Amino acid sequence: MTTFDAPAPAAPLPLRRAQPFFIQIPSAIWFLGRDRDYWRLMIRGVALLAVTLGIYRFWLTTDQRRFLWSNTEILGQTLEYTGTAREILIGFLVAIAILVPIYGLIFLATLDLGLIGSLAGIIGFVLLSLLGQFAVYRARRYRLTRTIYRGMRFHQTGSATAFALYALLWWVLVVLTLGLVYPWAQAGIERFKMRNTYLGNLQGRFEGSGGRLFREGFVLWLVTVGPIVLGLVIFATQLDFKLLEDIAANITNEDELKRIFTDNAGILVLLAFGASLLTWPLMTGFLLYPVFQAITMRWWASGLRFGDVAAKSSLRVGQVYGAYLGFLGWTSLVSIMGSFVAAIVAVLVLGVGTATKFFEDAGNLETVGVAGAIGGVMLYVILALVYSATYHVKLKLAVWRMVAQSIDLTNAGTLDTVSSVGAPASPVGEGLADALSVGGY
Amino acid sequence: MTTSGPGIFFDGVTSARHDVTVELSTDTLLVRSVDGRTLADWPYDKIEELSAPQGLLRIGRRGGITLARLEVIEPNLAAAIDDRSVPIDRSGTAARRDRRKVVFWTIAATVSLVLMAIFGVPELATRLAPYVPLGAERRLGAAVDAQIRSLLDDKKAGARFECGNADAEKSARIAFEKLAGELVIAADLPIPIRITVLRKSEANAITLPGGIVYVFQGLIDKSETPDELAGVIAHEFGHVAHRDGTRHVLAHAGTALLFGMLLGDFVGGGAVLIAARTVLQSSYSRDVEATADSYAVNLMEKAEGNGRALGTILDRIAGGSHPIPKVLLDHPETKDRIAAINGMARPAPAKPMLNNTQWAQLKRICSG
Repeated sequence: MTTFDAPAPAAPLPLRRAQPFFIQIPSAIWFLGRDRDYWRLMIRGVALLAVTLGIYRFWLTTDQRRFLWSNTEILGQTLEYTGTAREILIGFLVAIAILVPIYGLIFLATLDLGLIGSLAGIIGFVLLSLLGQFAVYRARRYRLTRTIYRGMRFHQTGSATAFALYALLWWVLVVLTLGLVYPWAQAGIERFKMRNTYLGNLQGRFEGSGGRLFREGFVLWLVTVGPIVLGLVIFATQLDFKLLEDIAANITNEDELKRIFTDNAGILVLLAFGASLLTWPLMTGFLLYPVFQAITMRWWASGLRFGDVAAKSSLRVGQVYGAYLGFLGWTSLVSIMGSFVAAIVAVLVLGVGTATKFFEDAGNLETVGVAGAIGGVMLYVILALVYSATYHVKLKLAVWRMVAQSIDLTNAGTLDTVSSVGAPASPVGEGLADALSVGGY
Repeated sequence: MTTSGPGIFFDGVTSARHDVTVELSTDTLLVRSVDGRTLADWPYDKIEELSAPQGLLRIGRRGGITLARLEVIEPNLAAAIDDRSVPIDRSGTAARRDRRKVVFWTIAATVSLVLMAIFGVPELATRLAPYVPLGAERRLGAAVDAQIRSLLDDKKAGARFECGNADAEKSARIAFEKLAGELVIAADLPIPIRITVLRKSEANAITLPGGIVYVFQGLIDKSETPDELAGVIAHEFGHVAHRDGTRHVLAHAGTALLFGMLLGDFVGGGAVLIAARTVLQSSYSRDVEATADSYAVNLMEKAEGNGRALGTILDRIAGGSHPIPKVLLDHPETKDRIAAINGMARPAPAKPMLNNTQWAQLKRICSG
């Protein structure tokens, strides 16, 4: 009898690799995967995406999830993703069969010149938004039922239609209040999702409060959206609308415009102010997005509950900025390399072409033009794909890892006493989500 | 001989973790608890390898009722299980073979979809267009018309955008309607034609679905004889007769569906699609233009006009050389078109389609 007498794997988790930190802080959740393996997966995946004009995405998504799930270790046990590409491909085809008639009807309705025609756009938008939220919920159900932890399946109850209506209502309010109710919308939507989420017989719950997120994020809102509100108020009170109509009426008449502007110098200042207000949220939004992401992720993770198991995230804003800086660094590197290759090729072609008098024939020139256009498109596609791979590895994976590892669990012992419930769900929701481009991990 | 080693077992009924001993007997894999109970007894050909991080072998029972899982970290034990069980293949040979099959078939699917877009969709649109009711086509035309009009009317001329409405343009309009009217009668199209002159300097004419034809002022300025202008209008009637507008919309919707929905919009895919569509579109429209040319020659001769006049004005407008490569041009090479037109057309009749007075009047249709 041969016996492999390795010590029974106990608490210090054997699969964790040495981390580049001097002191290793024990953490409830750990991510085991290495960037190198994800790079390999993503580069191969995006190359195949290009060759198959995107059909390969079902396999790539499945590979990504397998990697992310199986490397996420919670209290010493990793998650397992059991979904297959074949399932989501079939789900997608079913979704197409549902969507094509809907798109067709909307198209036909827009042809009607009467009331229906003018409303078709709005009705179509509302219908597709509802369907989008429906798909978000069903896709989540699919992913949960394909996630297994300690031999227990996750599952999700609740009606996707009810969710779609509920979520859409919140989003309408978010738009109407210029984002002010966003925290309560997120809290409400997460509560809906989590109270319908189960690990075996252990029910989930969301305890993040909208008020808390509001307090944490209000400064962000003030900095990005606040100036717009202020600007709108100033515009509404200060702007001479009669004058604006004059300008619009004389937009092609330069002399008249000149006269209006010399007579009313104030309006130019006001209009310039308005234009700068529009660029402001773009700029601050770009710079502050990592802060926003850090705050919402930390708030979300800290609100997750399963039975009496409670999560608490200690994600720091600096960490998320680090991930973005890393991503920016890598994309700059890729861009520099890309331009370098393009420049070398261009110089070579021009040099050889001039030396051999190849360009003097008009026919040759045309061939070179077409080849150049094809080359340009190819370079663009290759660069875009490398960017996409970089984005997945240096940003999405990095954020996944730092959010996971920022989480601490209390009453984790409960996770030993779950019993099994729940059956796998249909992948149609996932397909709908893909066809409507509302998918995620 | 029995081989054994440590493992972690989850029975799929509860989430409790069991530290177990894995025993590999001749036919089955036995999972025994610390107190010696048998927790699982799996035949080697019934076990499957499941997704797991590197360095961990996770197995379950294929088709099992519960989600029982056995995890093995000890490398020698994992290798021993791999040796005994056919379905378990840690070298990844079978997985690679499956993946190659997937890659082959997805590429095959892509090729077939692209071929469908190049040959199938235009053919299908041609077959389907005659079955679109004329009423639907006119509605389509009205919807497209509103958009095209606002697009063309870049100077926001509004009502003045149409020529022939001012008092000074009335006599010109009568001459224009006489010329167009003769073609309408000769063509005998199943759909009423609405033909309008627009104050636009390009020498061009366009046709929308539902029998809407726009002639640009620039075309009238460039025409030296009434038959030349009539030739271009006859060409546009060719598009109406062949229902090219509807065909175009159907084909466009078809390719949009194929490329937009079935093929995903992966990053960078947009550029490929636009490039592919530009090339597709131009090869497709070259055939369409050639067919409309031959229709125009026939129609002109039916209306007792000069079939070759279309070639003459084409030469004048687009005769110069093009810097754009051939594959990207919307219309077929002008020289080829002119040669084809002259090959079909009979020699010019003695009389032009309008007399000199009428033609001089018509030329002033945008003078108001």
